[in-house]
Amino acid sequence: MTHAHLAEYERLRRTTAPALLCERARAEPDGIAFRSKHRGLYRERSWKAYAEAVARCAAAFQKLGLAPGDRVAIMGDPCEEWVIADLAAQAIGCVTYGIYPTASAEELEYQMRDGGAVLFVAEDQEYVDKILSVAERLMALRYIVVIDDTALFAYDDPRLLTYARIVETETADLGWLEKQVAKLDPAAPAFIVYTSGTTGAPKGAVIAHGKHLAATYNIITHYPMLTKEQRTVVFLPLCHVLGRDIAITMPLFSRLVPHYGEDIEDLSTTFFEVAPTVLFTVPRYLQKFASQILIGISNSTGVKRGAYEFAMKVARRAAQARWEGKRSAIDNAAFAAAWAAVFRPILNKLGFDKLELVISGGAPLPSETAALWQIYGINVLEMYGQTETAGGIVAGQQGPYARPGTVGTVPVGWEVRLAEDGEIHVRSPDLFEGYWNNEEATRAAFTEDGWLRTGDIGTWEDGNLRLIDRARDFIVTSGGKTISPAYIENVMRASPYLSEVVVFGHGRKYLTALVEIDFDMVADWARANDIPYSGFTNLAENPRTRELIRAEIARGNEKLARVEQIKDFRILPKMLDPEEDGEPVTPTRKVKRALMYERFKALVDEMYDDREERLVAAAVGAG
Amino acid sequence: MSKPLPSASGHFRRSYADEFRLIETRLAKTSAAAFALVLLVFPFAVSPFYVDLATQVFLAAIGALALMLLTGIAGQISLGHAGLLAAGAFTTGILYKEFGAPFWVTLPSAALAGALLGVVFGLPSLRLRGLYLAVSTLALHFLVVYLGGEYETRRGFSTGILVDPPVVFGYEIYAPRVWYFVLLAAAALTLLICINLMRSRSGRAWRAIHSNETVAEALGIGIARYKLLAFVITSAITAMAGALFAYYRGFVSIEAFSLYLTIQYVAMIIIGGMGSLLGALLGALFVTLFPYVIEGAMAALPGADRLAGSVFAVNYAAFGIVMILFLVFEPQGLVGIWRRVRNYFLLWPFRQTALGERP
Repeated sequence: MTHAHLAEYERLRRTTAPALLCERARAEPDGIAFRSKHRGLYRERSWKAYAEAVARCAAAFQKLGLAPGDRVAIMGDPCEEWVIADLAAQAIGCVTYGIYPTASAEELEYQMRDGGAVLFVAEDQEYVDKILSVAERLMALRYIVVIDDTALFAYDDPRLLTYARIVETETADLGWLEKQVAKLDPAAPAFIVYTSGTTGAPKGAVIAHGKHLAATYNIITHYPMLTKEQRTVVFLPLCHVLGRDIAITMPLFSRLVPHYGEDIEDLSTTFFEVAPTVLFTVPRYLQKFASQILIGISNSTGVKRGAYEFAMKVARRAAQARWEGKRSAIDNAAFAAAWAAVFRPILNKLGFDKLELVISGGAPLPSETAALWQIYGINVLEMYGQTETAGGIVAGQQGPYARPGTVGTVPVGWEVRLAEDGEIHVRSPDLFEGYWNNEEATRAAFTEDGWLRTGDIGTWEDGNLRLIDRARDFIVTSGGKTISPAYIENVMRASPYLSEVVVFGHGRKYLTALVEIDFDMVADWARANDIPYSGFTNLAENPRTRELIRAEIARGNEKLARVEQIKDFRILPKMLDPEEDGEPVTPTRKVKRALMYERFKALVDEMYDDREERLVAAAVGAG
Repeated sequence: MSKPLPSASGHFRRSYADEFRLIETRLAKTSAAAFALVLLVFPFAVSPFYVDLATQVFLAAIGALALMLLTGIAGQISLGHAGLLAAGAFTTGILYKEFGAPFWVTLPSAALAGALLGVVFGLPSLRLRGLYLAVSTLALHFLVVYLGGEYETRRGFSTGILVDPPVVFGYEIYAPRVWYFVLLAAAALTLLICINLMRSRSGRAWRAIHSNETVAEALGIGIARYKLLAFVITSAITAMAGALFAYYRGFVSIEAFSLYLTIQYVAMIIIGGMGSLLGALLGALFVTLFPYVIEGAMAALPGADRLAGSVFAVNYAAFGIVMILFLVFEPQGLVGIWRRVRNYFLLWPFRQTALGERP
């Protein structure tokens, strides 16, 4: 088995994604490549149709004068044209990169300038507006291609083209595409992925054709069920390497069939209709859906709530027994009854009842969240990878139903070691090429003996890798204790009412936290409790909201050691918005700690000089 | 109008033809199959009395479905329902008696007669609304009853017209079980026609007219055309029900088509639930069985013998009371109760919106 995998790595290393597409189109021309919802119908795209669409788009790009090595930037929510444009650009030797749909104008300009894209693909008019607002400062930009041309009649920028118009006259077919891809060098750069960058400006990780395919194949070696027909939903941004893996790369050499919804806003309808069997997600969605379920249950009638709680009791015991490896036939039978009576109806409403595998990546998955979904009977596993591992994973729980808390084992053909300070180092023939225009950062990313520095601290636990925190994020309190803020934040985030928690306390006597409330959930709670509010800030400042959050924090504190407990907190008065310039969150909603402190310095400091405040207050006689 | 999402996940539509599937989920498939099985086995499992009851329900269901289209869906009040049934029954009776016409002539003729009456009495609906329309349709009732009575007396059938069982492909339809299946098939066919009308252009036009005529007209719906269409279709179906009634009873008499019959059909669609085809079926079931239930209940009371004489009066009174109770406490009718029960399980274990429908 291992041997076969190593041979497959070798084969993929010598090819490209567009070439794999051509092969697949020859091998099974009528097989379903993906389904894409349009005006209420899931249009089925065969491999042949897919390859021909890529061919027509590639020919159109070529007519526009795109040359090998030119960069093409794509911005927008996932849709089939995004994927087609990406593979088309790759097929003629261009280097593509995606830009977060939520990127601010400043970030967009930075990435357009840094990457030097000649052609910009915009999903709809919203992104046209964004790019036009900065376009005059982008010397390299020659064309803007718009996929959805609704509401574009009033624009007359000469660079503006519509996707439909440029491909409609093209007649390029599979044979033409094959000729093009034969000219590609598998070792040449295929695309750039901008890392979200919790510190400093985003860096563009350059990834080569062959290495990306081989690296991504390690997910298949780790999860062999992907070689059987599976339905999945594409909803993660395609500019992220995980999104690209799911929508573009993995379907090429597995049996994963991506499904695109009508609109990203209709995600829950898409899940419900498609009923995916495999889902790749980031923890945020699992937390969000779990919160929806919990709130729905808490608002339900007594009988129904009672049934849920009883089922939970049964299922919790069964899950516990499974993690300890001693699940009995009685546990199985009890769980089967709970599943049929309660969990299946719940999951069915989300479209989650057919899920056989859920893989969470991109950020640490709170173990409470993983545990909850496993109790519900969903095989939620965590994997760990980085943009720099070129689409592959460093480690992943193989499961099924692995005990939450670790990120599992290392895939075949990959090596992981821990440095003396606990930093995780990775070695594989298939890593990224380096950072775009940033030699210095590239050098810093590797050790002298050629291992990739992940910047994450980990330990081994019975052969499984356990992540502790980002190396630079550790808090050393004034008492000299070293504490991982990520661990505490994840414990706190298990509460449905908290969407973001940032722990502070470096060089201080105790830990404090800034929290962002989950507006939907807290608003729901407020309505249920007759608390009037007019908006986010108003709700966040309500004293009863404060009480609610205080209770939630106290609940979290119970799970923590004394030094790790949060002694005070402040609720952020506004929602963190990655689309705004200078916000302390990345488009993937990872927190930029330093910036967070800078932005909300007053709030944080206020939690520490309480004593002085009181002294002053007493002095002026207000105490 | 896009169809709502099915009640189970994993059903995505790949072509617009999928939109027309009546049965989408596995649950719907199994329950439809189970229901069909029960209907097939029923006449063999119970006594002929119950077979006759079920047959009456089917017959009533055809008329109730037709009236639901006109009143519940298109919003046009009609008090001529008994008249239309009589028209169908008399067309059959007269054609049989005078010309010895067979089943396959009388039934279409009844439909044609109904359709013609529908046009005539649909015309006032273009100008009249509400109570005025109700009164003008009432005229239909009296006209038909008068003509029927005249025919009976002039031709000397003052006790009624006897109609022999119909012969289809040389087979005489006579036995109760045979009638059960014939009328079951007729009711099922009517239901299917109604479902298809509802999800086609005409059904949507009727609902639009019901909601607001002015808006419907502004949307380009031909008000006159669709109102007349509603009258014609309803009348044709009802007259066919009348024809089937004549054959089933083997006897046509104008006394059977009193105004009370009209009230009963109106009660079916109100008690069943306005605007719902399922409501028409439930209403037909309820109203048909109601007198038997009252009778059974009174027979079970102590001193039943003495009460026997007042069964009729009690029946009328109880029926009136039940109507009032429904209007006051359950305006959505039986179908409203059904929906609540269904939602309880459909939303299980949540109380409100199903999660899948809300982002």
